[in-house]
Amino acid sequence: MQKKIVDFTNLLRKSGVRVSVAESLDAFAALDELSLDDRELFKDALRATMVKRSDDIPTYDRLFDLYWSGFHDALREQLGQATGGLPDHVDLDQLLEALRQMLENMDVDLSDLAKAMLSMDPNQLEQMIRDAADETGIERIQNLLQIGFFSRRMIEQMGLEGAGGDLRELIDQLREAGMGEEELEQLGRLMQAVQDAVRRSVRQFVEQELDKQNHDYLERFRRESLQEKSFYNLTEEDIRRMRELVARLAQKLKNVITIRRKRQRKGKFDLKGTMRRNMAHGGIPFELIFKQRKKERPKLIILCDVSSSVANVSRFMLQFVHSLQEAFTKIRSFVFVAELGEVTQVMRDNDIYQGIDQSLDGGGVVNVYTRSNFGFAFHVFWRDFLSAVDSRTTVVIIGDARNNYNDPRAWCLREIHRKAKNVVWINPEAPGAWGFGDSVMDRYLPYCDVAEECRNLKQLSRMVDRLLL
Amino acid sequence: MFDSVEDVEKKLHDQDYICGKNIATVVYLATKLQKPILIEGPAGVGKTELGRAVSRALGLPLIRLQCYEGLDESKALYEWEYSKQLLYTQMLRDKIEQVIGDAATLKDAAARIGEQDDVFFSERFIVPRPLLRGILSEERVALLIDEVDKSDPEFEAFLLEVLSDYTVSIPEIGTMEAKHIPLVFLTSNDSREMTDALKRRCLHLYIDFPGEEQELAIVNLKVDGIQQRLAEDIVKLIQSIRKLDLKKAPSISETLDWARALMVLNADTLEAPLVEETLNIILKYEGDIHKAQMELSKLLQEKGAESPGPEAEAGEKPAATGTPPRKSVLH
Repeated sequence: MQKKIVDFTNLLRKSGVRVSVAESLDAFAALDELSLDDRELFKDALRATMVKRSDDIPTYDRLFDLYWSGFHDALREQLGQATGGLPDHVDLDQLLEALRQMLENMDVDLSDLAKAMLSMDPNQLEQMIRDAADETGIERIQNLLQIGFFSRRMIEQMGLEGAGGDLRELIDQLREAGMGEEELEQLGRLMQAVQDAVRRSVRQFVEQELDKQNHDYLERFRRESLQEKSFYNLTEEDIRRMRELVARLAQKLKNVITIRRKRQRKGKFDLKGTMRRNMAHGGIPFELIFKQRKKERPKLIILCDVSSSVANVSRFMLQFVHSLQEAFTKIRSFVFVAELGEVTQVMRDNDIYQGIDQSLDGGGVVNVYTRSNFGFAFHVFWRDFLSAVDSRTTVVIIGDARNNYNDPRAWCLREIHRKAKNVVWINPEAPGAWGFGDSVMDRYLPYCDVAEECRNLKQLSRMVDRLLL
Repeated sequence: MFDSVEDVEKKLHDQDYICGKNIATVVYLATKLQKPILIEGPAGVGKTELGRAVSRALGLPLIRLQCYEGLDESKALYEWEYSKQLLYTQMLRDKIEQVIGDAATLKDAAARIGEQDDVFFSERFIVPRPLLRGILSEERVALLIDEVDKSDPEFEAFLLEVLSDYTVSIPEIGTMEAKHIPLVFLTSNDSREMTDALKRRCLHLYIDFPGEEQELAIVNLKVDGIQQRLAEDIVKLIQSIRKLDLKKAPSISETLDWARALMVLNADTLEAPLVEETLNIILKYEGDIHKAQMELSKLLQEKGAESPGPEAEAGEKPAATGTPPRKSVLH
């Protein structure tokens, strides 16, 4: 039992659930206090001691069912099928009883496996299969192609072929000892069926093992690769999954922000405050007061190109920033293709995903079915919204700067840059492509404090973290 | 103490707390292993209430520490009582003069005062806050650390020592050990993930919204004199509302509020207009209410299809009891 629990612990770890040594010790202590007969109780006890994150609970539930799945039950079922294959008029118990009596009077040398198969004892057979699995090193199994290999190795290890031979010999001996021909035939058929059942069970065992070892591996792989997948190649499914990922990263950043704020909170010594506070102590300064530094919350203006080429970058940037809403005093979001319009209200009125979807569709303020014209959009911003920019504002522009050979009007960006604290350009294209073809990135570059390539989630989250918080 | 998992279930039930076996198992283990329980789950599923119910069931006094941002050790563990120390030095001035009276040098005098240090840094001048109080208590207590996720990450560090060794170290005095190991509950709404170090020391319990049967039992237990049919309808409806994609799903306490409100309004069964008017009791966001309303007609129709009888009866009801009083209560 102990070994099984240790194995299970390792399995959990392998699937990304963090279980410390102390926690697995707790699990043992907990099991000492409970009766192990109740499966649910057992499950709850293990979970309470080893799984500490609610996110991990589904993983745990699946693994638990897989691991404590009752391979035993499956084996029993297989054996049941084997005996079920007998003709109706044969009484199995009678047959086995007759066999047992015969065996007692004879001196036959049978292997353990053959004995176990004769008695059809699922406990013993299970133990043998598990032992064989340990011997063959089943935990190394990695893919479907190895199922056949490991099954064969295990069957060899168990000596199933030899046991089959033993049984055939036994039948011959029984014939000599004077057992009825019909009974012998039934027995032979039964033994063949049991052999097949064991064979199938071994294969099933190997398959289950593969499931266990691979569980969540794929899932994690997919999630990690999603972080590095280029926004250009996202499928609908990816986008849906990406949302969760963005939400999680945003939560993480939020935690980091609060810590940072805490660290920098203590300011200079406050003499007046200290004197006032310590009047109660007769002016003796027991408690020191420090000036609170003013919290500087950045203001943020986001200009999103919503033409289809950069839609995904805009989508995730918007989600990021609005998830981090409380970190900013003010966020204003604008979308543009050629015209430019404000979608702050759209984002505020709807829940975040609806808001983003609507914004990407122009938010009812701009026509998205035109060709990108950055120059025109900046001009509109300069004309109508420049007053929104002040010395605490960071202006974030998301776009590929592919201007369709229109006038870039870089002077608008220069004016914006002059008023803003920072201008940040997030470009989904690699820097090598900036300025080639219809890209006018090189014209805008002098007026950006930071311009970075950002084509996957990893880059985006790093960017948000470093620049804005 | 509890004898078995079933015993936990029974004793909690006696305290009007209905729980599933998983909750009972964890509580039982916590009392046996003397480990804290970290309770997580959505708001309003009875996390805090569990702590209270267990303390009542075991007859332990409950010490509660409500966490909030900025909570520090002087509020949670202990604090030196400066003014009392000051007062004592003032009043004992004569005595102090005696002690240093014949000291030849300043250094000598300081050394003599130094010898008396422990007078001023003793338990006498410590104000114990909830955690220390729980540890020093003469009898066994239940310690409820509520909404620990609201506290700062640094605060968790203070908790670690208390939770794993049941000791509190005060630099000037030394380590104070628990006379009786308290039963500790920590609750969290998961607004921030706790550190692994903290989680490692606790048993973890995730309480989710209850199933239909359990919630019905809770409603029957907590709302006196509610009619069985109404209770069933309410629970069924709440269960299906929770399945919608809502900003905030209705909690158990909101179910109870709603049931009580409907009782006040003399409702026998749920009917569309009444439900729509009272939705604001269970849903707290305009968007959610809107969503629920859209689903509502569908849900109520299903219900109507199941039992066509009450529907006809319900149709007459509003006219009989009159709608105005309902409005006046709710708006």
